[in-house]
Amino acid sequence: MSARRTLAISRRIADLFRRDHRTLALLFVAPIVILALLGWVIRDQQLPPTRLAIINEAGAVGETVVGQLADAVAEAGMTVDERVTTKEQARAALGDGELDVAVVLEAEAAPTVRLITPGVQLSDDAARVAELRQTLLDSFDVPRIGVEHETVYGTSDAGFLDTFAPALVGFLVFFLVFVLTGVSFLRERMGGTLERLLGTPVRRSEIVVGYSLGFSIFATLQVALVLLYTLSSIEIPAIGPFASFTIGLGVVNAGSAGLAFLVTLLLAVTAVNLGIFVSTFARTELQVLQFIPIVIVPQALLAGIFWPVDALPGILQPISLLLPMTYGIDGLREVLIKGSDLATPALQLDLLVLAGMTGLMVLLATATIRREVA
Amino acid sequence: MIDNAVEAHGLTKRFGSLTAVDGIDVELPAGRIYGLLGPNGSGKTTLIRLLLGLARPTAGEAHVLGVRMPSRENLARIGYMPQSEGLYTDLSAWENLRFFAALSGNSQRAVMNEVLDLVELSQRRNTPTHELSGGMRRRLSLACALVHRPTVLFLDEPTVGVDPALRVQFWEYFRKLAAGGATLLISSHVMDEADRCDELLLMLHGRVLARGDGIAIRAQAGTADMEEAFLRLGGGEPEE
Repeated sequence: MSARRTLAISRRIADLFRRDHRTLALLFVAPIVILALLGWVIRDQQLPPTRLAIINEAGAVGETVVGQLADAVAEAGMTVDERVTTKEQARAALGDGELDVAVVLEAEAAPTVRLITPGVQLSDDAARVAELRQTLLDSFDVPRIGVEHETVYGTSDAGFLDTFAPALVGFLVFFLVFVLTGVSFLRERMGGTLERLLGTPVRRSEIVVGYSLGFSIFATLQVALVLLYTLSSIEIPAIGPFASFTIGLGVVNAGSAGLAFLVTLLLAVTAVNLGIFVSTFARTELQVLQFIPIVIVPQALLAGIFWPVDALPGILQPISLLLPMTYGIDGLREVLIKGSDLATPALQLDLLVLAGMTGLMVLLATATIRREVA
Repeated sequence: MIDNAVEAHGLTKRFGSLTAVDGIDVELPAGRIYGLLGPNGSGKTTLIRLLLGLARPTAGEAHVLGVRMPSRENLARIGYMPQSEGLYTDLSAWENLRFFAALSGNSQRAVMNEVLDLVELSQRRNTPTHELSGGMRRRLSLACALVHRPTVLFLDEPTVGVDPALRVQFWEYFRKLAAGGATLLISSHVMDEADRCDELLLMLHGRVLARGDGIAIRAQAGTADMEEAFLRLGGGEPEE
């Protein structure tokens, strides 16, 4: 393999990026904007005060509770709509969006409180039910078993974002690099430049390695920037009319940022070669985008981003083990959440499989270029 | 010393039921300009791709400079100007030239400047290729094929979109290259370029209908006009 020819191809990719400001923005600005938006939404979202109605169907027994309950929810910042007194009125008001929860005291043998919610936004319903359940438990002297929760990894104040961010970093880098390489190599095939390249003494492997190297330079910068933004946080104080704000997600990092970088970079190089491979089967840029639901979305669903791989049903578990993102995201969680190092077998496996998949993708990508001239 | 720069024996390429190149046998001695003439779809581009080793023949074999194709190493001695521009539109003229020079293993700055002068693009060397006119891009494409000083040149429709004055200069340069020992196979469907070639190969339906210089071919067809000669020999309509 000629280093001169390989570097010439890498340099051409660098020249492309240097000229194409929109692509640069997609690589560097888009992931930061997405992460910032997500961090903002997850950390600062506020549920508007719950509007509820208390319906007493338990007669005199219920009457003794209604007043106490109304005081408790008012103290918790909720508002009670006293005009709603029957279940039917409550259902209508819930349907119209005028109420968030109806608390029905039912006339059963045992004291029963039924909570009725709209059922449109389940996460919203769950948050309000949890809030009400806590208020009820706090206000009424209900005998209960104390349950405390602690975790092996992370800190007691770690939030959803701290566990979700590693997966998101892996996904974003893989997705953006895949789309860029796919479209870029398609242009190479369709614009006649690949034909011209193959009319020179360049080896197919030099094209693939040159491409991987060229993209990897930018993927490296992208990964470094994304990790920097994810792991660090700077507080900007209030200036004049502008309120203070935070730059960076400040996600809790238990391990080595360098190892996290290595895992993400391997994932990015796999995405480069997957992009080259997939471009064989496309004729237009739109057709490259059509591979997103085929190649990217299943990985998003099966790679352990939203739910654990172990919890996947039936055949989906072995399928998830064939996906590079499964190992990338597991590796990132191992490093960032568990603080694993190179001595940890699980991380060793992730790195090994990712490296193997990168090698396989390089071979597949090279094979597709060979097919071009068959 | 190799007598024939290019040889094809029984060279055939089929795409399903279509036979694009049909058992061509040719031997092209070195140091001459060969015109590959024929209408669109006659098999000129496929023949060039087979000779370069960019397409695998269904049957037969091709040799360039005595080496059986495909041969990656041999491509360092071959220049190829494809029918499509095959340029990176996001790069400047100079960056395109430098890139293809590096891949072909000859990045001499003096040669790069010389070919850029030849195609009259020295003043536009830093212009992004997408800002060049169609004719300029065609000229740059030719420069990229010449930049490593190849011994054999396959030029697929090199003069399309090039203005008449520059076309004359191109042919003068081709003549200079041939005088220096280079062999050029130039495809065209423009019959008036025929007389600039040392020898012509008239192609139709993947076969070489006739071979010889312009005078001989016209004499064979019994007409003074090359287009008429083509029609008489092939019984088809040459396309413009």
